[in-house]
Amino acid sequence: MHALEFEGVSKSFAEKNVIRDISFSVEQGEIFGLLGPNGAGKTTLIRLLLDIIKPDSGEIRVFGDFLSAAAKDRIGYLPEERGLYRKTKLLDMLVYLAQLKNVNRKEAQANAESLLKSLDLYEHRGKKVEELSKGMQQKIQFLSAVIHEPELIILDEPFSGLDPVSTKAVKDKILEYRNAGKTVILSTHMMEQAQKLCDRILMLNKGERVLYGTVAGIRKEHGKNSLLVEFAEKRSLRILQEIPGIRKISWREEAVEILPEEGTNVQGILQELMLRAEILRFEQALPSLNEIFIETVESVSGE
Amino acid sequence: MFLVSKFSGKTFIVARHEFLKTIRRKEFLFMTFAFPLLLAGIAIIPSLLASTTSAEDQRVGYIDMTGSFDFPESLTREGFSVGPLGAKPSTIEFVRYEESSEAREALQSGQISSYLIVPADFLETGVIELYASEKEMSVPGAELSVELSNIAINSLLKDRVDEPVLQRVKDPVNLKLYNVGDNGESSEQGIAEILASFGLPFLMAFLLFFSIFSASGYLLRGVAEEKENRIMEVLLSSVTPSELLTGKVMGLGAVGLLQIVVWLSVIFLGGGYALPVDLEPVLLLIALIYFLLGFLFFASMMAGVGAVTGSLQESQQVAGIFTFVAVFPLIFMQLILTNPDSPLSVFLSLFPFTSPASMLARMGTSEVPIYQILLSFLILFVSIHGVLLVSSRLFRTYLLMYGKRPGIKEIWKNIREAGR
Repeated sequence: MHALEFEGVSKSFAEKNVIRDISFSVEQGEIFGLLGPNGAGKTTLIRLLLDIIKPDSGEIRVFGDFLSAAAKDRIGYLPEERGLYRKTKLLDMLVYLAQLKNVNRKEAQANAESLLKSLDLYEHRGKKVEELSKGMQQKIQFLSAVIHEPELIILDEPFSGLDPVSTKAVKDKILEYRNAGKTVILSTHMMEQAQKLCDRILMLNKGERVLYGTVAGIRKEHGKNSLLVEFAEKRSLRILQEIPGIRKISWREEAVEILPEEGTNVQGILQELMLRAEILRFEQALPSLNEIFIETVESVSGE
Repeated sequence: MFLVSKFSGKTFIVARHEFLKTIRRKEFLFMTFAFPLLLAGIAIIPSLLASTTSAEDQRVGYIDMTGSFDFPESLTREGFSVGPLGAKPSTIEFVRYEESSEAREALQSGQISSYLIVPADFLETGVIELYASEKEMSVPGAELSVELSNIAINSLLKDRVDEPVLQRVKDPVNLKLYNVGDNGESSEQGIAEILASFGLPFLMAFLLFFSIFSASGYLLRGVAEEKENRIMEVLLSSVTPSELLTGKVMGLGAVGLLQIVVWLSVIFLGGGYALPVDLEPVLLLIALIYFLLGFLFFASMMAGVGAVTGSLQESQQVAGIFTFVAVFPLIFMQLILTNPDSPLSVFLSLFPFTSPASMLARMGTSEVPIYQILLSFLILFVSIHGVLLVSSRLFRTYLLMYGKRPGIKEIWKNIREAGR
């Protein structure tokens, strides 16, 4: 069963198309990345799936069915625009938000306490939100999305405003949920995080689907057949010029990226290299999601 | 019906949360408890002060130069001031002296608190002299003069006229007012009735207006705040807009009801002993119905306003327009009270914005036909339905829109589209 399915969904506001004919599905137990530049329609897509707004056309199925009130209780949502009751005590607010997901009071209280402990916020439980630092508020907001132990967790930019330590804490939590068989939808600009965390992604641009599939598959697909070589000694770079069949050489961090001429045998190049220098690494170079992201967005806007 | 069909567990959770949150607000606690205490304080404290000073027992000396005065040995006075504390009786003991020098010595030595001299020419001048020490704080002059009058009348007329004549001389005229109604019936109108017919309706209308507006004001603030600090999106991922709206209206309605019950009890308890006033249970019941309907009407309107506007400040400005319309009956209160059956009064008591306060005021002063009361209920009920419908659509459309406030045209278009 798919955790989530979109079938030909479109939505427009005031004559402007925000989402155009989008179809995709999210499998149970995966981390699914929702990527795209600002204004691509990510937040609208999330609001559609939460039934906060209605689609103009198309079908949305959550847990295999139209979103019911009961299904809503199985979803946790961290919106991009963070909002908390500023004057309410932490624990009271978390309990209230959990109760709105039909968790009974006692259980909500227990969940809230254990979650606060897990993110080192327990000592602040009696404080009001406005007394906390920005970073702590972010963590509280994250907790409010998972306090009812949802099966589908939707996180819109969960890392924005977090320091590296908190980022790691939230990341660990996300992986923990995936390992527990829960489905996570991660909407973010941070391609590095998406590349590390996500199993599959959907990339939107101007309301349209531009990329969709597994992270590994997309990277392979966008690879230009280039090779990544790392030498033990830097001066060995000169020897590359002696080897035939290489079209382009460029530096990439610690390694050199080689673009072979078409029809050249890659094994041949490796043999030639091994004869002349000590090789630490020799692999097929895959573009990062970030590169694919920029390339895709630019090629679309260049049309 | 909208209200009934959307009741769910979550609605009650929202209602409970809103109720608890609001009754902990300082403004609410002040308005509900401190405000009536303050009013009661202003009304009661002076009489408390008056009753404590006059409640002490005194010894008063007298010198009767006419020889015809018949002073009793002591005199027990009922409490002069209002309230249970004032009901404590105090006694004045009269002590006879022959010479003014004796009385002066007694006064200086503190045996008596004051003394009276009835001069020989009392019959011609009517003067009785009262001497008190400078240090004496409470001189019983005013109260004493009533007692002295009775003693004087007794002394002058006793055995010369019949007892009823004696009583009439002491208490000559009691003026009573009667209202002659259209059907020729006349009804007695004493102080209590005048208070009941003018003061109470005004007070009730005022309180009704106040509690409706403070409760729906909390609602407006709540919605605008939740929209402004963006928690709305979190809430809407858990509850539907109509669950949220219904829950808020219920929670804050309970707050307003609590407030008005506290206020009415204060009037009941406080009024019961400060003023001889009867509140008719039927009038109370109708007041509560008007409160509920009036609150629902304004609250759902405020919720719509809160949903459309972008910030708390802006929403309060827009809400001010509605408040202005609702203040109308208070401005026209005099007209309603003096002329309760004029076409304008009838109109104000039927028009949904003004009907709760106006109808209560009319009911206090004249016999309002039952059909008019029922008609105003019906009009309010239908209006509530309409406003709720519009508000919940606005709620759905605008809760998550920020930035520019939509124009009237666009709002109208959205209301119509949402209905399809």
